[in-house]
Amino acid sequence: MTVTLEPSLGDVHAVVEEVWSSFLGAEEPILPLATPMPPGGWSAAITVTGGWDAQITVNLTDAAAQAVTSTMLMCPPEQCSDEDLRDALGELVNMVGGNVKSLMAGSAVLSLPLVGHGDISPGSHLVEVCRLELTWRGEPVVVTVHLPPAADPS
Amino acid sequence: MKILVVDDSRVMRQIVIRTLRQSGHGGHDVVEAENGREGLEAVQREAPDLVLSDWNMPEMSGIDFLTALRASGGTVPFGFVTSEGSPAMRAQAEAAGAAFLIAKPFTPESFDEALGAVLGAHP
Repeated sequence: MTVTLEPSLGDVHAVVEEVWSSFLGAEEPILPLATPMPPGGWSAAITVTGGWDAQITVNLTDAAAQAVTSTMLMCPPEQCSDEDLRDALGELVNMVGGNVKSLMAGSAVLSLPLVGHGDISPGSHLVEVCRLELTWRGEPVVVTVHLPPAADPS
Repeated sequence: MKILVVDDSRVMRQIVIRTLRQSGHGGHDVVEAENGREGLEAVQREAPDLVLSDWNMPEMSGIDFLTALRASGGTVPFGFVTSEGSPAMRAQAEAAGAAFLIAKPFTPESFDEALGAVLGAHP
């Protein structure tokens, strides 16, 4: 029998809430509300390989990405460059991914983050097992966890 | 005193420096480096009293930085500031010679607790 280890939606939500409340949401918390995600926007992804294989991805609109960067750097959004956005979003997914990884048993290696404007879809060898749809400052924030599909025991 | 902050993310280095202030440890000089290799060079050049290092970095990771530092005879107190705070990571950090591991996201209180034990009372 094959046992697939995956984080629960509640655990991922707790991780995201902790990251947000510590660095981003002291005054405006991230809410468990689904807001339609328009096309485009930013994606930040991090992978885990070894004892547990996964991709953790955070998708945000341009406005949310700028707000994340501005809040982390404590500077006006217009002063945040694309390089700053990539840096901030990379740290965001690093914290979410690292904490999700810490919940899972076994040894594995966390990658460096990958950030891009647009969708960073995992390879076809991974399937979505967890999808967290949130809203921050009126903007959608989506966090997904992809894992290898469970092996067919037959 | 002088603190060396090592992280490939400029954003996180700024957050660490801000948190040093918020935790009452803002009176120290701060030097920055972007990866473990630059961190090694900075330790030799700046002779810091404490190193705060990320774990996962390009060029040279934090754990490799610490290992190389101790292998060369460096005894500067070293603490990790990293997104992975599992018991296994903490054990690996301690075995390599780290004084503490602060998990991201962190609070000024967690900074004060870790740094206070190494640096003593606030400057």
